[in-house]
Amino acid sequence: MSETATRLVSPKRYELIATALRANIATGRLPKGFVLLEGPIADLMQTSRAPVQAALRILEDEDLIHRFGGRGYLVGLPEPSLAPIRRDVRLLGLSISNEIDEALQNRGLWELVYDEVEAAVAACLIFGEFRIIEAELGAVFGVSRTVVRDVLSRLHERGLIAKNQSSHWVAGPLTAQSVRERFQVRQLLEPEALKLAASHIDYDSVAKLLARESTRRDTNHPATDWEALERALMEHCILRAPNAHLIELIQHNQMPIAAAYRALSRLGLPEDEIAAAEYWTLFDLISARRIDAAAAYLHHHLKVIAEKNLARLKIVAVVSETRLAVPYLTPYRME
Amino acid sequence: MPSKGKNPLKAPAVIQRRRLRVLGTDISLLESIRRQAESDLGFGLDFEVLDFPSCQRKAALHPDTYDVYDQCFHNLSIVWFWGALQPIDTTWIRGWDKVNDLTKRGGLNTYARRGYGDAPADKLYVQPGHSLGPAPSRYIAMLPTVHNFDSFGYDTRVFGDVIPGRESWAMLFDPRGKGRLALVDEPAIGLFDVALAAEASGALSFADIGNMSVKEVDALFKFLDGKRRDGFFRACWSTAQEAGELFRQHKVAVASMWSPAYNELGAEADAIREAAPEEGYRAWHGGLSIARHVEGPKLTMAYEYLDWWLTGFPGAVMARQGYYVPVPTAVREELSKAEWGYWYEGREAAEDLVGADGKTIVVRTGARRSGGSYGERASHIALWNTVMDEHNYVSRNWSRFVSDVNGRSR
Repeated sequence: MSETATRLVSPKRYELIATALRANIATGRLPKGFVLLEGPIADLMQTSRAPVQAALRILEDEDLIHRFGGRGYLVGLPEPSLAPIRRDVRLLGLSISNEIDEALQNRGLWELVYDEVEAAVAACLIFGEFRIIEAELGAVFGVSRTVVRDVLSRLHERGLIAKNQSSHWVAGPLTAQSVRERFQVRQLLEPEALKLAASHIDYDSVAKLLARESTRRDTNHPATDWEALERALMEHCILRAPNAHLIELIQHNQMPIAAAYRALSRLGLPEDEIAAAEYWTLFDLISARRIDAAAAYLHHHLKVIAEKNLARLKIVAVVSETRLAVPYLTPYRME
Repeated sequence: MPSKGKNPLKAPAVIQRRRLRVLGTDISLLESIRRQAESDLGFGLDFEVLDFPSCQRKAALHPDTYDVYDQCFHNLSIVWFWGALQPIDTTWIRGWDKVNDLTKRGGLNTYARRGYGDAPADKLYVQPGHSLGPAPSRYIAMLPTVHNFDSFGYDTRVFGDVIPGRESWAMLFDPRGKGRLALVDEPAIGLFDVALAAEASGALSFADIGNMSVKEVDALFKFLDGKRRDGFFRACWSTAQEAGELFRQHKVAVASMWSPAYNELGAEADAIREAAPEEGYRAWHGGLSIARHVEGPKLTMAYEYLDWWLTGFPGAVMARQGYYVPVPTAVREELSKAEWGYWYEGREAAEDLVGADGKTIVVRTGARRSGGSYGERASHIALWNTVMDEHNYVSRNWSRFVSDVNGRSR
């Protein structure tokens, strides 16, 4: 099992599953002779098979269930007259206590998987079009198809993947055209959001940021990278606009270009002091409550970084994508 | 600072020579150039010669491994925006005033056709905010050096009725050359040969052939795949030697060609003609840039090396393989009258002329360079080699196309 998969399987998860099954055996909701299969239980508990296996072994040790001639376990101790009851465990309406349900449903598992998959998908966008192999994804992380589906639907929701005509999940390609269009959208939305946010901006945080920067300049410490400054601008200013729908649009639109930028950073994109200086100008204007000027400056700044991004992305044509390869992403070729 | 023309033999042999590292391609990094530059400049030169993609990758991602970058303007934008290079102060370049207007103003004269795509003038000057643009400023990103106006070569035994100077890029897809067409394998170069051909033949049209949309790129590759299935392509080549060999072995009747490849034709030379397409040439322009990290005495060496390229010698070596430099007056002093007449003025060769190696005869008496003089050729540019916005998208499609072509013909 890979290091990732080991980390993802919570050591307590099997205990939660065992507890839930034990309780249902005790109340008789899981009747004697009922056939317990890993897959459906994993599905029901929204988890991978591994913790279900472990839970079943515990219950076997406790003599609550036993192996028999067929696949899975039978509830209860072996009895000659016991006939296997084969029904879908998901239809039994098992009672699962709130705490256990919550703990099982805590999205830790799929979220952990999601973060890794999102990073991999995002990193591949600039290298062309890739197909996502669902079975491979499940195998790599040791998770169920349900988790894989959850992960993919979230990626889809965030605009990182799409289903093509052959019903395959595909990621990319991130073309220059789509980068340009997304920056255009940024130019349209973000300065307006900044204006709307005017009375909601976290001016204290902006002031602290500026104070820290001024100390830094005096002490000659390394400069803050502009990606961190952009995050600060988003967090303290733009995303404070009192319009949830607008904020969602802004975040959604930024996702692939931010991903592309991270992929370039991994290739060793150097610091951009000019871009950083532009963020400080923005913070200065915001701090002086000159929000209209800041919005106009932001519009200009986005135009400049759009061009830089387009030029920098061209490096990808001479870089091999193999260094980013993961088994569940495979270059897609339409014939 | 070593004075120019100082006799290197007088230098004490025990002193460790200072060295300058130059990264580039075999277009300009020739051994004869290196030897002469060392002798003229009084310091050592290490030339690292790579193919186009490796050269660009190294230049952008590992700027600490070289001091001077010798490449084309069309890939400058990538390397520049990766922060690998530093602005060049033109007031430190003694020969700057001699550099002609092809790059400085975008054309040799006001009426010369500018061409589509990455014209070097649009990437020459460093603008406020560190971007690149055509507005003149004291600082440049790349000192313009070697350039040419490329087209294609064709076998006159196959295309007998074509009048010199009335060729069209559409000839690439003329049925008479079917199965015997070759392209240069470089997505910023070969792609435009076929794009010009597709447009000239009326099959496709582009809103801006120098910056195609995704839709236009898709349409072009659909067209190319169709031609490939029809059996038009023989091969895609990577070096001028390979291009020459394809003609020598009668494998092709029409192909993308670089000027030195015409010196590789051997006995076939008389039958193969360099086209001067009615639509215009596909132009390219090389130059020299300085890596970001270079400073102090090494920076002085880098500037001296740049300046050296504006003296006559390197331009004369380049001329003998068909390439121009932007300081024709200096080159003229280094060329024989016959060489100058043939290479730059488009006149009949008054005698047999040797190539860049100084030995092999590459032009016979009475021959005349296709397309005429430097001025005529430079005024007839259809487009420049270009790294378009959709370069990544183009490159991936191109690699697939080339492997299909070369796979099938092997």
